[in-house]
Amino acid sequence: MTYAFPQLLRPHVLASRNRARRRERGDLMRAVMFGAIGLLVCGALFQGSFWLTSRLDAYDELGDYLLRIGLSWLFLTFLSFLAFSAVVTALSTFFLSEDLRLLLTAPIPVRRLFHARFFRTVGQSSWMVVIFLAPVLMGVGRARCAGVSFYLTSVLTTVPFAVIPVAAGTLATLFLVNTFPARRARDLLMLMGLLFAASLVILLRFIRPEQLLKVESLPDLTDFFSTLQSPVTPLLPSFWAGESLFASLQGGFDLLHFGALWTTALAAIVVARMACERWYFAGFSRAQEAPKARFTRLRGLDTLVGALPLTTVRRQLLIKDVKTFLRDVSQWSQLLLLVALVLLYLYNFRVLDLDRIPYMTGFVKNVYAFVNLGMAGFVMATVAVRFVFPAVSAEGPAFWIIRTSPVTMRDFLWSKFWTGLLPVLVLTEVLTIAANQFLGVDPFLKIMAAAAIFFMSFALVGLAVGLGARYPRFNADVTQVAGSYGGVAFMIQAVLFVIVMILLLGWPSSMYLFQRARRAPLGIAQQWLMGGCFASAAALSTAIWVTSMRSGIRALERMRD
Amino acid sequence: MIAIHDLIKTYGRFTAVNGVSLDVKPGEIHGFLGPNGAGKTTTLRMIAGLLKPTAGRIEVNGHDLATDPEAAKASLGFIPDRPFIYEKLTAGEFLRFHGGLFGMDGRGMGDRVREMLALFELGQWEHELVESFSHGMKQRLVMSAAFLHRPRAVVVYEPMVGLDPRGARLIKDVFRRMSERGVAILMSTHTLEVADEMCDRISIILKGRIIARGTVDELRAMAGGAAPEGPDDGSRHGEEANQLTAVFLKLTGGTALQEIDEAVG
Repeated sequence: MTYAFPQLLRPHVLASRNRARRRERGDLMRAVMFGAIGLLVCGALFQGSFWLTSRLDAYDELGDYLLRIGLSWLFLTFLSFLAFSAVVTALSTFFLSEDLRLLLTAPIPVRRLFHARFFRTVGQSSWMVVIFLAPVLMGVGRARCAGVSFYLTSVLTTVPFAVIPVAAGTLATLFLVNTFPARRARDLLMLMGLLFAASLVILLRFIRPEQLLKVESLPDLTDFFSTLQSPVTPLLPSFWAGESLFASLQGGFDLLHFGALWTTALAAIVVARMACERWYFAGFSRAQEAPKARFTRLRGLDTLVGALPLTTVRRQLLIKDVKTFLRDVSQWSQLLLLVALVLLYLYNFRVLDLDRIPYMTGFVKNVYAFVNLGMAGFVMATVAVRFVFPAVSAEGPAFWIIRTSPVTMRDFLWSKFWTGLLPVLVLTEVLTIAANQFLGVDPFLKIMAAAAIFFMSFALVGLAVGLGARYPRFNADVTQVAGSYGGVAFMIQAVLFVIVMILLLGWPSSMYLFQRARRAPLGIAQQWLMGGCFASAAALSTAIWVTSMRSGIRALERMRD
Repeated sequence: MIAIHDLIKTYGRFTAVNGVSLDVKPGEIHGFLGPNGAGKTTTLRMIAGLLKPTAGRIEVNGHDLATDPEAAKASLGFIPDRPFIYEKLTAGEFLRFHGGLFGMDGRGMGDRVREMLALFELGQWEHELVESFSHGMKQRLVMSAAFLHRPRAVVVYEPMVGLDPRGARLIKDVFRRMSERGVAILMSTHTLEVADEMCDRISIILKGRIIARGTVDELRAMAGGAAPEGPDDGSRHGEEANQLTAVFLKLTGGTALQEIDEAVG
């Protein structure tokens, strides 16, 4: 008995439909929130690409040239995301998915299984790229008053453009699963994370953005364009997609590149299918074998935590949390990406050439100190949503152990808070102090920023732990909890909090610096205002910290209802 | 000792547990039987502190679970039906963590952990990650955690599921030994042979209410049956279990099912 491959996609489609039909608490709010954010982002992308294309229109041939390079750049960026996403998704759909055990025991030819899994992988790994790409291309089309053929070409270009990296990702996954020791599939994610981080760093270094910032280099147009064109190679599908769309914008049809896209996509499917027919089962079989799991004993951790002045319960909770985190490759490997981004962030401050504007250097540096504070706040929010917010959910189905033990939910949640606070506080303090040092900002601002980060860490970690307890996802993969309703709610509140903090700290600080530049002393009223603003910032942080934790504890206690 | 009084649990308009009272004395193994959806899981989850009763009172070793939950939980061991544990800890680390939650610490901890691992035949796996354990091994690890802090009462849900015959025999022996030492054990099971072999008394729950309670013989009498006669030559347990099945089906209204079973058999 055989099944056509769309039949194999049916459970996925039906499950999605049933999920859509089933209403859960917060579904409407989540839909509204995600919908609003999505619409906002799409609208901004549309407006941005429309504005940019309209501006470029004024430069005739130069504008055309820049638009052409811009399209190739756009597709190159999406290509790298697609390639990474495809490997991660293929690993899950082809090798780790639970339903494979059922499907592989059914009389289904590998070819059909491949087709079903492949199209599912294409859909899962490319939907986000398509959502971002669509408004950008619509903006370009609108600005150039393009006809229907442009939009049709866009669709027909995007399809093979998404298929090629997914086929390549499937092949890469097939190779890795067959090469690495069995049951190390999740470890592959770490490797992918590293590769992605490295490629990101290389890509950004490739562009050499600091060169574009140098005014004196701008007159040398040859260098400028060669800098722009350096990563655009005619051998990549991103170039073919860009060329096809540019030709369509001009009212023509670039058969060569359009044909290259489609033939490569179809050939890639055939090659991937042949490889799967040959090596898929061997790879899947290897992934099922269960040799002894390799792990680190982390004995030093027991000794270290044992020396801390903690109660027995908190000590054991801390040891368990840290060991679980460090032994889960999918969790800690994301830290590598974070480290890469932090290094890039600091590097940017290091190379920032503010002395180009001699009269404004001091002012700009101090403005940058607040930009830095804001950025550190957003980094803090991102780290908190990814690593602190899922802390309660990370207990997973084993949460019964805590709930049936004589440990109060208060003890449990506070333990989660302190475990999350330390790394977040250290990371963001180092980031802020180092960046301000590189910038050479005023000492007053350095101290103020360090103090602000201290308070913000308590507030944001408290908010993350509290909301994580209010909206736990015990059955979800920890790496995906950040994208849940609670995670989004946290990000929105965190961003608002960071903005309010910058306003509360920025205004009195600028007043202080302004008076000092004028060599005028601060009046009593101004001093009170300054103190009031700083006290408000501290009070706001403390209030968010305490109320979030309290509501989190209450939510955990209510779970018994 | 476990004592529950007039326990009620409702979910909206649905009443899952309706006025259940139960008393498990020190040293007693008390079977808790009932068909699927009868209210067994809800009752056990309330005793373990995972669910809050709508009404009624639960006492564990003299501590009221509502007013003094930490003390009640500290003297209770809970063994769930599915052994979900932290996969990234080793067996030894898991037990040390579990002991820590119950306030155990210090030098004696290591010895106690090794003692429990040896008791449940997991000694050689002390330094292996839980994720590489089979279902039966995880089940035994959960049981060793439940007995680690020397509880005076234990609530256990389907203890034999996933265990091989040797593992099942081991668990039966451990439970008997614990009850001899005065531990009160409340055990829910669908395996009537296990209930028949191990339980001093049995309560049968149906639609949220206790419909029968007593020793196996008392239940047989209630259902109008008789105890099997003749010497206990090993086959008697199977015979008794079959009889208990008949009693169970008769009391819970499943006789039609049994007739089908017999016709097919």
